[in-house]
Formats: sequence, structure tokens, C-alpha cells
Amino acid sequence: MMPKKTKFVIGSAFIVIAIGYLISMGISTTSQYFFTVDELMSQKVSYAGTGLKVKGNVVNGSIVRDSDNFLKINFSIEDKSSNLDVIYEGIIPDMFKDGQEVVVEGTLAKDGVFHANTLLTSCPSKYEAEKEAGKSHPGTLPNLDKYKDLNPKSTESLPKTKI
Amino acid sequence: MNDIGEFILLVALATALYGVVSYVMAINGNRIDLYLSADKTPVIVWGCVVIASIALWRAFLTDDFSLQYVWAYSNRELDTFYKVSSFWGGQKGSLLFWTLILTTYMTVVYFQNRKKNIRVMPYAMTIMLLIVIFFLFLLNFSTNPFERIPLPPEDGRGLNPLLQNYWMVIHPPTLYLGYVGFTVPFAFAMAALISKNLDDGWIRLTRKWTLLAWFFLCMGNLFGASWAYVELGWGGYWAWDPVENAAFMPLLVATAFLHSIQIQEKKDMMKVWNMSLVLLTFVMTIFGTFITRSGLIQSVHTFDEATLGYYFLGFLGVIISICVTMIILRLPLLKSKNELDSFLSRESSFLFNNLVLLGIGFATFWGTIFPIISEAVRGVKITVGPPFYNQVNVPIGLVLLALIGIGPVIAWKRATWSNLKKNFLMPVAAALIAAAVLFPIVPLKERAEIFTYITFILCVFVMTCILKEFFKGALARREQHGGTFIGEVASLTWHNKRRYGGYIVHIGVVLIFAGIAGSQAYGVHDQRHLKIGESIKLRNYTITYEKLNAVEATSVKTRVIAQIGVYRDNQRVWTGRPEKEFYKGQNQPVSEVDVLSTIVEDVYLILADFREDESATIKVYINPMVSWLWTGGWVIAFGTMVCMWPDRLEQRRRLSRMKKQEALFAPAQE
Repeated sequence: MMPKKTKFVIGSAFIVIAIGYLISMGISTTSQYFFTVDELMSQKVSYAGTGLKVKGNVVNGSIVRDSDNFLKINFSIEDKSSNLDVIYEGIIPDMFKDGQEVVVEGTLAKDGVFHANTLLTSCPSKYEAEKEAGKSHPGTLPNLDKYKDLNPKSTESLPKTKI
Repeated sequence: MNDIGEFILLVALATALYGVVSYVMAINGNRIDLYLSADKTPVIVWGCVVIASIALWRAFLTDDFSLQYVWAYSNRELDTFYKVSSFWGGQKGSLLFWTLILTTYMTVVYFQNRKKNIRVMPYAMTIMLLIVIFFLFLLNFSTNPFERIPLPPEDGRGLNPLLQNYWMVIHPPTLYLGYVGFTVPFAFAMAALISKNLDDGWIRLTRKWTLLAWFFLCMGNLFGASWAYVELGWGGYWAWDPVENAAFMPLLVATAFLHSIQIQEKKDMMKVWNMSLVLLTFVMTIFGTFITRSGLIQSVHTFDEATLGYYFLGFLGVIISICVTMIILRLPLLKSKNELDSFLSRESSFLFNNLVLLGIGFATFWGTIFPIISEAVRGVKITVGPPFYNQVNVPIGLVLLALIGIGPVIAWKRATWSNLKKNFLMPVAAALIAAAVLFPIVPLKERAEIFTYITFILCVFVMTCILKEFFKGALARREQHGGTFIGEVASLTWHNKRRYGGYIVHIGVVLIFAGIAGSQAYGVHDQRHLKIGESIKLRNYTITYEKLNAVEATSVKTRVIAQIGVYRDNQRVWTGRPEKEFYKGQNQPVSEVDVLSTIVEDVYLILADFREDESATIKVYINPMVSWLWTGGWVIAFGTMVCMWPDRLEQRRRLSRMKKQEALFAPAQE
């Protein structure tokens, strides 16, 4: 008969090893490389076809909506010295706009275009950075250009609710 | 008033410093005069912080935009409701809020214990004051909420629309009450280590505090999940974001602690373990704060001031070194009197429960810091996302779930075969029946679906174990007292609050497991760009886009609302109204989702976008069993209340211990 303590040490070790195994398996099967655009472009290795996460800022004026498929967009993201073309299909986050910092997840095609299946915009709790960039104008209405020409006639004919 | 606020924070810091120095001198030199003077400082520090907080609130409520912080998080049009909660909307205010809660706790602890536990109090108060000093230092010299703008602007920038939600008023305070609450058991544990009073007196003293902190942290996490669900519009409630993990890890360690202290109380074992767990819980709260406030790890909601991260990193390093040193120094005094007897015993099930909880905690920790480690070791940043956490934590979680059923029922010391049969025959039978019934109903193709199937079976097993306990106890009582069955269940619980309160918490946990499993594996979603009158068909639902309403703006916001008819099996069941809101002073729209929630499933609608021709992109999620999650949360809340409810029996036990405690805290070195 083994001493009691040894038995428990073995039992616990078994659990710990099992958890360790799960963690290492999890890392090796689910991890993604995470680069900024510059880092990705300066890598000597080719990441074509691999799952990646890439961070960059949306190039001003690069957002093009597909005319047939409203959910599909093309845009470019840039860093200090390089940029990357991205194709994305799906819901476009509220904060997605020119200059916004975004993270895209997906694969890099052979032709260098990034096919994103996830588009994340950094959360708005970064007010401080915005303040420093002098972008905010207290008291002005948000930029509603995209929505401004929502047909005024038909809007007025719709029932209005006062809140 | 702003000057007063700024000044009083300095006074608070000076007082706290004085308090620490004089407490230490009083303890070492046995100077009663110094002790008496030191013993006023916790309350004075608290008073100062209260005044500073009032000053900041006043600035918010009077639209005093000469304060940079008020300007950044408020404007004239903001609801009073949100002006009050903007206090903790950003870095600086939330640190002040943290300090406010911390000093309030300190004061409550002070009045609660200053007569009863006079021997240990100087130590505990010194520890708490030292932690307060760290935060006051930050508030005074790094992130002062009373920082001025030389030329006060006309109006502020306003609160981020995502934060303009009633959860903003509930979630952060709840979370902070939990997070900060763990300082109290930490302080007493440290006090016990330093003063060498290493009996379980400190556990008895702080059990309810630990439970209270655990309760708030648990609720804080759930409220955060609710907020994410209704506000962020991605159809989910948990994303394994580093900041979410930051609040989840201390919860796991604290849960392990709450379980293993029962072994110490009953069996006088696992002293080093318990001490380590309570210290680790506190370390995890500071680590979480470090993650949240350093911006070191990419997250959706980090604060944006990197320098603060270094302070927290330093603080973390100091705390960990002290904890490790103290435990090593006191190792001889932390020897257990007993040892574990058998694998098949309640003690060992508690041990395994601890290992499993810490396993989930470690997997989460590892996933969270992996980008940093991989960058340091291999030079490339490698991240893991939800798939990692699901793949690793789901199997471990299932073991935990099984233990919830087994642990409380299995016999202490050594379970015999007949005893196992008596306790587990019915639950196992119930689980087998559930397995047979569910087998043809649920899909079993993917890994996630198989895990969900196992989860449901285990839920039935655990639920039967727990209900059997209630049933057995109530029947026994009824034979004695002859009341109604329900009445006996209630009085059973009332007379054994800790035990049955714990069972109620477990029921809540089972509901949460079921809710997570159901919503993760069987949810479906679809998104389409629709013209008016067009529909999306999903499962047995038809979702028809009916019209778009542009709603007259208030002075601060414009709303665009889609009207959507939801038909189940061709029967109209609901009219959903998801919307997009446009806030003044904010340059981005906010989606407001609309959810039809039933016990079976949620229909979750998002107006993702719309065009001039009134066509719109609608996204629909069918999320099964999400309401089970929230129900489970309320059940946990109720169960914890039962556990914490003042108990006359408990009080009598404590009174009889009082004399012992007197001896307990007699300083060992005198």
C-alpha cells in the first residue's frame, strides 16, 4: 500500500498534467499570428494562406462598397510605411470609418490581398488619444454625411414618435 | 470646491502615511499613545476621500468643465443619471471610485473589529492603509481627477454612447465592490502571517467579507455579460477578452478559496494552501487592474494611459514578493494536523475542485498573457482567441460541474461502497434517463455539440444530487415537525443557512452551465440586406422587415428605428424595433438591439445599416437558453444572501469562540 500522501500527489499530478496538455494543445491548434501592417510586410517568411490578425489604420478614402452586395467592402489599412488591401464581407462595425484603427482577422491570399472574416474596431474608451489628435469638437453634431440624404420626403411621411 | 478636492487628497495621503508609521511604531515599541493616535487615521482618510468624491460629483452635476476629467466624460445635455455615473467612466475617476470603496470597506472593518479583535487590528489596518497609500499616490501624482483646463470650454465632450446604458450605473460599482472587497481578507491574512496568529481565526473573521466580495464580483461579471449582450450588438455575452478574463480569474481563485477553507475549519488541514489562495486572489485583482490599465494587452476596452501600467506592475511585484516571503517564513507555523484519508471522500473532492478551478484560472491566465510571452520568447506576437478558451476550459469545466454534484454529497473522510450507492444511485439513474431522452433530440455531430450533450446530462446529474439533499432533509423534518413539504424545505434552509445556501448557489451555477452550453452550441444567425417587405427565414422563424422610422431627435440624439415582424411557424409573435442612434458630440452611431427573450430562446435583432432607399441590413441571432444564464445569476444572488444572512446559531457559536479568539490574537512575540 502506497503512503496516502504519495497517492494524492500522483492524483493531483495527473490532473495538473491533463490541464497542461489541454493548454498546450489549445495553443498549438488555435493560435494566430498578430502583426501590425508594417510587421507583416517586413517579415521574411510568407504567411500566405495562414490565419492572421493584422492591426492598422484605415487608409482615407479607401473604403469601397460592393454595389451588388451591401455587406461586402474593400479597403486598405496602413501603418507607418506599408499598407495592405483587405476584402471583408459581413456586418460593418458602427465605428468603422476612415482613419480608424482596426484589427482584421483572416487569411492572406497569394496575391497579397487579405480576406478578412472578422473586422474589429478598437473600442471608444480611448478618448484620450482622440483628444490629443484634436479630433473632437464638443457641442457639434456627429458627422452624418452618410445618413443625411436619407430621403427627407419619405421620412416625413413616416409616423414620428416624440421621445 | 475643486481646490478642496485636490487638497484633501493630499491630506488623505499624508494621514495614511502617518497612520502606517505610527501603527508600526506602536506595535514595535508597545506605545499605547501612538496606537491611540494611529487608530484615528483610517476614519480620517475615509472622510477625506469622501469629501474628494463629493467634490468630483459636484463638478459633474454643475457642469464644471474647467476640470479636464469632467470635460472629457460629460456635457450639458447628459442625463443627471449619467452625470453621476460618469464619475467612474474613465481612468482617473474610476481610481478615485476604487479608493472610495476601499476606504469605506476599511472604515467598516475598523468599526466592526476595533473592540473585538484589538490584537490583530493594528496589523490589518496597516496593510489596508498601505494599499490605500498606493492608490492615493496615483491619484495625487499620476492621474489627478482634479486636473484643470486653463481656459474652461463651453461644453464637455459627453459620455460615450456605449456607456449611456443603465448597466453603466450598475456594472462598474458592482464589479469594484467585488474587486476591492478582496482586500479585506488579504489584509487579515497578512496580519495573521505577520503576527504569527496562524490559527483559522483570520478565516472566521473574514469569511463573510470573502463571500460578500465573491458575490459582488460574480454579479459584476454577470452584469457585464448582460451589458455586452444588449449593448454591443454582436449577439454574445462573453468574448474571453483580456479585460473580461481579468475579472474572471480572481473569481475562480476566490471560489476555490471559499471551498477549501471549509476543509480547514472542519479538519484543520490545508493551511498553506488556503493562505496562498487568499493572497493569490488579491494578487489576481491587482493583476487584472494592471491588464486593464496598462494597455499592454490588446483588448476592446483598455484605458489609455500606459504609464499607469508601470505603477501597477511595480505594485504587483512588491505584493507578490512579500506574499511569497511571508509564506516561506511562516511555513513551520502553517503545518496541518491532519491529512487526507481517501480518494473517495469529501475532502479529496474539495481538493480536486480546487485544482480544477485553478486549472481554468491558469488556462485563462496563460491565454491572456500568451501574446507577451510569445513575443518575448520567439519574437512574434501570437494570440489566442475564444476557440482556445473554449477548447481548454470546456472539458475542465465539465469536471468541475461533475464535482459540484459529487462534492457536497460524498461522505467525509472515507466513503464506502454502500454509502456511494445510497447517495448516487438516483442521480446516476436520472442522468442516464436524460442521456437517453436527449440522444435523439440534440444534434451530435460537432465537438461542441457532443460537449453540450455531456453538459446537459451532467446538469441533470448535479441537479438531482442537490434536490435529493433538499428532499431528504425536508422529509426528515416533516417526520419531526409535521409541516408542509415546502414549509419544511424553507425551514431546513433557514436553520442551515451556510449549507443549503451553498446548494442554492450550486443550482444557479448549474443553470448557468446549461445556459452557456445551449446558447453556444445551438445558436444560429443570418444577415441580409433587405428591402421593405422582404424576409429572412431562420429555423422556424420568419423575420420580415416592415418599415423604417426616422424619429424626431431630442436635443442630443437622433434615432432611426426599423420595425420588424417576427413570425414563428407563420404566427406573428413579436414586433422587434432595433435602432441606430446618433449622439451629439460623438462621431459614431450606436446600434441598439432588440431582443425577444423566452425560456427556450432569444430572438435578437440588429439594425446593422440602412440606405437612402430605406433598404436595411438586418442581422438576426437565434440564441437558445440565454435566459437560463440570467436566471442562474439571480439564483446565485439569492443563495449567497442565504449564506450571508446573520444566523443566531452561528452567532452563538461565534460567542463561544470569542474567548478563544481573545487568546488567538494574543501576540505571539510578547
